[in-house]
Amino acid sequence: MSTELFFVQLINGLQYGLLLFLIASGLTLVFGVMGILNLAHGSMYMVGAYLVWYFVAVTGSFTVSAILSAVIALGLGILIERVLIQRLYNRNHLDQVLLTIGMIFVFNSLQSILWGNDPYGVAVPEALSGSVPFTDNSSYPVYRIFAALICIAIAAALYFMVSKTRLGMLIRAGESNREMVEALGVNIKSLYTIVFAIGVMLAAISGIIAAPMRSIVPGMGESVLITCFVVVVIGGMGSIKGAFVGALLVGVISTFAAVLMPTMSNMVIYLFMILVLLVKPQGLFAK
Amino acid sequence: MIFEKRTERIVLAIFFVIALCIPLFLEDNSFFVGKVTTILILAVFVMSLDFLVGRVGLVTLGHALFYGLGGYLFVILTPEYEAVNFWVYAIYVMGISALVALVVGVVVLRTSGIYFIMITLAISQMVYYFFFDSLEFGGSDGLFIFMKPDTSIFGLSFLDLDNPSHFYYLSLLAVLITLVAIKIILRSRFGRIVEASRLNPERTEALGYNIFAFRLISYIIGSTLAAYAGLLFALQYGYVNPQFMTWEMSGTALVMSILGGMGTIYGAILGTITYEGLLYIFEHLSDDWMLFMGGSIILMVLLLRKGLAGYLEKLLEK
Amino acid sequence: MSRIKTLASAVLATTLTAGLSTSALAAAGDPVKIGIMLPFSGIYAQLGEAGRDGLKLALKEKASALHGSPVEFIELDTEAKPSRAPELASSLLNQHEADFVIGPVHSGVAMGMIKMLRGKDTIMIIPNAGSAAATGPLCAPNIFRTSFSSWQPSYPMGKVALDKGYKKVYAISWNYGMGRESLDAFEESFTAGGGEIVEKVLLPFPSTNFQSHVSDIAATNPDAVFTFFAGGGAIKFVKDYDAMGLRGKIPLLGSGFLTEGTLQAQGDAAEGVLTGLHYAEQLDVPKNREFREAFNTEYGHYPDIYAVQGYDAGQAIANTIGQLEGDISDKQAVISTMEKLTIDSPRGEFTFSRAHNPIQNIYLREVKDGVNVVQSVAAEALEDPARGCKL
Repeated sequence: MSTELFFVQLINGLQYGLLLFLIASGLTLVFGVMGILNLAHGSMYMVGAYLVWYFVAVTGSFTVSAILSAVIALGLGILIERVLIQRLYNRNHLDQVLLTIGMIFVFNSLQSILWGNDPYGVAVPEALSGSVPFTDNSSYPVYRIFAALICIAIAAALYFMVSKTRLGMLIRAGESNREMVEALGVNIKSLYTIVFAIGVMLAAISGIIAAPMRSIVPGMGESVLITCFVVVVIGGMGSIKGAFVGALLVGVISTFAAVLMPTMSNMVIYLFMILVLLVKPQGLFAK
Repeated sequence: MIFEKRTERIVLAIFFVIALCIPLFLEDNSFFVGKVTTILILAVFVMSLDFLVGRVGLVTLGHALFYGLGGYLFVILTPEYEAVNFWVYAIYVMGISALVALVVGVVVLRTSGIYFIMITLAISQMVYYFFFDSLEFGGSDGLFIFMKPDTSIFGLSFLDLDNPSHFYYLSLLAVLITLVAIKIILRSRFGRIVEASRLNPERTEALGYNIFAFRLISYIIGSTLAAYAGLLFALQYGYVNPQFMTWEMSGTALVMSILGGMGTIYGAILGTITYEGLLYIFEHLSDDWMLFMGGSIILMVLLLRKGLAGYLEKLLEK
Repeated sequence: MSRIKTLASAVLATTLTAGLSTSALAAAGDPVKIGIMLPFSGIYAQLGEAGRDGLKLALKEKASALHGSPVEFIELDTEAKPSRAPELASSLLNQHEADFVIGPVHSGVAMGMIKMLRGKDTIMIIPNAGSAAATGPLCAPNIFRTSFSSWQPSYPMGKVALDKGYKKVYAISWNYGMGRESLDAFEESFTAGGGEIVEKVLLPFPSTNFQSHVSDIAATNPDAVFTFFAGGGAIKFVKDYDAMGLRGKIPLLGSGFLTEGTLQAQGDAAEGVLTGLHYAEQLDVPKNREFREAFNTEYGHYPDIYAVQGYDAGQAIANTIGQLEGDISDKQAVISTMEKLTIDSPRGEFTFSRAHNPIQNIYLREVKDGVNVVQSVAAEALEDPARGCKL
């Protein structure tokens, strides 16, 4: 591999990693604060992609569609938390796993009923449809640069929110001491609702941003779910910073593996995760 | 009596009476006999998982690795066009699976909690992709088992595996043996230490027991039972496919076990029958069976706190 | 809500078949039982639905050929899961005693079905899965296919590439049966004519993370690229290829599934892609125009290749029953009648090879304004070599 191609692939890997971070961030946030392993997280990614496809077809504007879809996802998150998740806080973790598996079935079915099973694609928004020269005979699409920047912006916003704002303070306190937060007069119930809804919205936003780059097909949620798990486990469950580092590592490693040893590349990220856990059984940035 | 609870005795008595008679009533309908056979085999698999998750405290999302391995090992070990002895090769398959479980166990047991779930998932995915992407093992299309093994012991043959009813009783026997074996293990000194280390690991350790060793042995037992179930499943239709070891397969087994009542062992049988029964009904009812299936799972989590077994115990135990 | 069947009838049917199972000697007037084993959920659901709709349309149009026998459909969702395939096939064979079984889409499922149905009295008709084994080493008198073998759409593309003057080709696909067999078929004819495969990449199925490979193609700078991808993967590959600026610089060739049912989602990115397939929606054959209008009247949308393949499975059944004047009790007669049929397909007429795979034209198509436009017949009456088949 030439030096030039090495850097090209490095950029491809980082770009993929940033998207992975966005998908995984909601999963790790919800787990870190609420201790809930949401197996339906991938379904929320799927919902985001399908919603934006649907609204683009109706309104014709990607921006409007993206905002509408994100707001609907936020509402969906509140609804799910209030109606279902809330009933399981003082239950076994496995009951939560079971509940979210049930949700995967329901969302897959709703997708098929509402939008059918044809594969769909969303066109890149007009303003971002150009590309910049890259190597001798290839160019780099502006939208993918834009998507990477959005992922970085959201990562920064999440970091700011958790470490600098009052909501973040409550989140950090709630992680370590639920009773104390309640003693302070904060309604932990609303806090959990907000956090869960943000988690759902983050998954949906990643689906929205990915929509013009990927194909929108049934089962797309499950295909990202496991990769997301790998990302958050490598980084340390519950850690936003860990998810960021884990996502970039997974993105770069899987990109190089796919080019250098394509037939083995499926196994490589799992192997990497197992190695990380053997050295650090709680992931890289465990608390 | 190894079955302490009244509910347990009632459920198992009803189950075994019905199960023993099913082939007699359905003799002409080999599909139904086959369908129930598959459920029995799954029940063995789910019981082995229930033992690990509910009693040893090892929540694995990679149990299907051993289910799939049981079938693949058989295909790999046997010559293609020669009938081998079932019992001999069952022992080979279980022996090698136990060795694999030993190696995997040493790795995964270094972690705990959510990380244990994830590392078991990762290892099973790796093995899944190994078979899925391989050329030698049929890749994503899987492999056929061309010759059914023969089942004679010392020259005496009781079972013909090509006969659905015979295969059915072989599977029912596996259910019985697995159930009794797990129960005996749990009542033994070994079982009590394992349970103690789930409930209070620090204290058990302080008493001088090597928790790691106890967990490792339990992991090997559970995995070997799963491999036996997988061997039966592969032999039933003479076919193995990497999809047998996906995480969805592990997840489904976990759902069955939780539905039945985690850790009750006999609940695993209830959970398997209920899940498969619902699936069968919904699939024949509507194209949108997933909606009903998902809805039922959600309702059952909300309504049944300790699974079906827990609900029955509330009704029957006084 | 036509989708919902009543629970009562399902339970009733179950108890009836459980109680009194009789040997399936269907005389004229008895219903013709057609089992459908296709995916109606998951990533292949759209393919399954199209195949089923085509099948039902054919049997509706040809109702008169059935000599008064009503048709009973038994639909089972395979979810494209191989582990359930033998059980579902057993249900159709032993519980419902189906005369014909149509399925599947996925070749792993095909393996499970073949295991159960091979050599039995039920006729299995594959309306999609292209795996070489089904009409190769595993071929059997009662197994037919109305779609294609993976070899067929790709083999003629090697000659197409040579005719265009391409010497060095980069070949890329998924590492599974269909992908490997497609690339091998292309390589077979391309290298025989003096071409060189500069790189042959097999990606794990169903990964769609193609960007790094497109970068690799750019760095390799071949004369052309040959590929097999389908569905969501086809959309993603064509979009990545365009997004990275390779469209228009390095020609993209493929097995026809690269641009089947995906053009709307691919948009401009697919313009100029050259593919080979046994069908094209705008194919100028009277039967095709007729079929497309009939399908649209029935279902409110135009059919795709998968609907055509299902439709031809239906035609094969109806024509066989018609020639036997409604008596399908002798399965030997059913098989020998069916294998001699000439099917008047929307893709043009085809017959069955000794291995029961269609002998059919492969068309060279180019995407122009979002449509696969037929350029020429890349191979006329192409027969799969059926390697390993002893029929």
